[in-house]
Amino acid sequence: MTHPTLASRHVTPMHCSHLRHKGMYVTGDVTSEPNGFADDIDATSFWCVCTQKAFGPDGLPVTLEDCATGRSCCNHDAAEAT
Amino acid sequence: MADEQNPPAAPPPSGPARTWPPVADRALLGKPIRRIDGPDKSQGKAKYTYDIVRPGMLYGRLLSSPHPYAVVKSIDVTPALKVPGVKAAIALKDPAGPTAKIWYQGEEVAAVAATTEEAAEDAVRAIKVEYEILPALATVEQSMSANAPVNFPKGNVSAERLTLRPDKADVEAALKASAHIVEGTYSTQVQTHTSLETHGGICEWNGEKLTAWVSTQAVHATRDGLSRALQMQQSDVHVITDYMGGGFGSKLGPDVQVVIAAKLAKEAGAPVKLMLTRKEEHLITGNRPSAYAKVKAGVDAQGKLTAFDAETWGTGGAGQGAGFNIPYPVYAFGVLRQRHKDVFINAGPQRAMRAPGHPQACFITEVVVDELADRLRMDPLELRMRNLPPAGPDGQDLPTQQWRKYFPMAADKIGWSRRHATADTGSGPIKRGMGCAANRWAGGGSNRTRAACEILPDGGVVMRIGTQDIGTGTRTLVAMITAETMGLPLTAVKAAIGDSEYPWAPGSGGSTTVGSISPTVRIAAENARDALFAKVAPSLRVEPAALVAKDGRVQVKDNPAKGMTWKEACRLLGVQPISADGAWQQGLSSSGTSGVQFADVEVDIETGITRVKRVVCVQDCGMIVDRITAESQVYGGIIMGIGFALFEHRILDRNTAKMVNPNMEFYLLPGMSDIPEIDITLIDQPERGPVGLGEPPTISTAAAIANAIANATGARVRSLPLTPAAVLAALHEERSGGTR
Repeated sequence: MTHPTLASRHVTPMHCSHLRHKGMYVTGDVTSEPNGFADDIDATSFWCVCTQKAFGPDGLPVTLEDCATGRSCCNHDAAEAT
Repeated sequence: MADEQNPPAAPPPSGPARTWPPVADRALLGKPIRRIDGPDKSQGKAKYTYDIVRPGMLYGRLLSSPHPYAVVKSIDVTPALKVPGVKAAIALKDPAGPTAKIWYQGEEVAAVAATTEEAAEDAVRAIKVEYEILPALATVEQSMSANAPVNFPKGNVSAERLTLRPDKADVEAALKASAHIVEGTYSTQVQTHTSLETHGGICEWNGEKLTAWVSTQAVHATRDGLSRALQMQQSDVHVITDYMGGGFGSKLGPDVQVVIAAKLAKEAGAPVKLMLTRKEEHLITGNRPSAYAKVKAGVDAQGKLTAFDAETWGTGGAGQGAGFNIPYPVYAFGVLRQRHKDVFINAGPQRAMRAPGHPQACFITEVVVDELADRLRMDPLELRMRNLPPAGPDGQDLPTQQWRKYFPMAADKIGWSRRHATADTGSGPIKRGMGCAANRWAGGGSNRTRAACEILPDGGVVMRIGTQDIGTGTRTLVAMITAETMGLPLTAVKAAIGDSEYPWAPGSGGSTTVGSISPTVRIAAENARDALFAKVAPSLRVEPAALVAKDGRVQVKDNPAKGMTWKEACRLLGVQPISADGAWQQGLSSSGTSGVQFADVEVDIETGITRVKRVVCVQDCGMIVDRITAESQVYGGIIMGIGFALFEHRILDRNTAKMVNPNMEFYLLPGMSDIPEIDITLIDQPERGPVGLGEPPTISTAAAIANAIANATGARVRSLPLTPAAVLAALHEERSGGTR
């Protein structure tokens, strides 16, 4: 399973290939600040690349927890993702 | 793996180590250089997305939901199609499908395209929509209430997230052992995105290929978004952003309205421009989430911070989180615990906004630190100095943690020694006070950034890089670094940016742009210049390594008279330009900034009105590339911080959840008369290479102002914005028994 997760500290292969957040396009070390600034309770907002909104094609919120295997619109098609 | 949006990281460098020229040899870098596009912008020649008009172009408009929580029962767009001039009308909600629900006011229900804006507005009004209106949640209090309707799939409140440091720390025991405790509830408001240029774009089809002029912070991300949303090949999508009027984190893709513009353009067979209205901008383009914190913090009798315990929550609107980390990681609290919950309401979802999470966390933490100093009857600056992170083994603070140096510098500049120990006890209603706060940010660059440089036979130089100038001066930086490397004047270089067909660069966010593009442009320019040296060297009968480019000449390093003009050198190319690529390498940029801000305010205790008289800022950003644009970032950040501190506030009607101030009349931003004297000391760290500066200066302004108001009045306002009503309420509470 391959889709664009390389630059994300949130998105794993378990997640939908359509899940997006700022850090996937802003690939600098926004949060990996030297000297251990932990960012456990972070402010990340997520969106669906297909709807371009914070709600997915199934009309439900896009979240890191929900946009994973099992959701009806979840996509793991590597060919489509890349 | 890598793909178009995430090209592989640059391989380890195999050639000579890359460096910046010695400071003494720099003709442009670090100097105050005016923006190369300043004249075009000031004369109206620069074409922003908003300004672009394509032949035969139609105007798109959205029909937005007036209801914050509803179900669309039916949509009929056919009446819109009968309006003269209307060429397309599409429904965006499917009453029979899963997208029928409206989650927040302003959600897109339908869209039209017409020959004039007026016709488009008439057509929107003609669309017939039937809604089933549902009871909306307007506040965190409503959502958290036990008898609230459950409007969100997994409940109105998220599961708790916990931070505990160190592991298994006994926070309660540490608090119990503290000499002094501060306990209170602190909050910050929802701040909506109010970029000068609203979100949107123009979409034009040529067969199955799409060209989109978009107001975006990320041309490559926008190409990715359009291709995925429209199910196209990325190679068939071309995104252009010549100039754009601000994004602050909210424009990192095409967004729904540009996808809609593309669909309308396809339907109408003509280009469509769809820029959001100011009202839509407030409702649907994102915001900084609110933050609430019930804090208990301790300090020992010697002024050592002992413990910080916080229960936090906030709302990122419909379905999105509202995370922030406290205590803000500048001061070394002994132990800390944070328990956080996200609360969902029926309002537009949050998005990244300039330093996500930081201004909220900074405000809460810095106010608590000030209150602990009050308990100790200690100068709050002294308490801060005693609790900065310990120096390294060599006795020096890390370059990313320079607060021990900056606090005294800024204190001296603002005249901290004249600060009242408590409140201003002078006669008259105008009270004066000072406060301070610190900030930190990362701001490192992306190792995936690429650039391509051309040297033309007529002496021209073009640097192409798929970054974009979001108003920060990136175009000027690209030209400066190229010109410096070539030994040319700034005017001899063309900086080509804002195009998805240029080499990949990251979205302009997180203050990562300067750290991404600077090394990459430098390397591409060096590679091109060195290729020119290889062409020129034989005619001068020297090795290429013996050559330098300086003052518009290519000449022998140790014998400047032996050489030729740049143009003469380029003529040796014949008809074939030099093309050279550059990939980001480590060592030419860094990550990590630190800074402090001090505010000097006047508060009228009869009206509650605060006037910020002066803000003093000491800030580092690694190697300064252009002093003017760097200072502009700080000015902008502080002004935005003043807006967060005193004015900006999304207000929702508690009964309907509709925003009552979605405009520029009642959603207040700082005007010219609200902007104080801003005194900036930028610390140049040339040995570190550039570090991003967009975010840090906006982080600590509100905290410094809040602490200054408390110092002026003796009353503590623990909630933003610091409105006259909030100040008067705090004064009343102080007179009735105390806010401290």
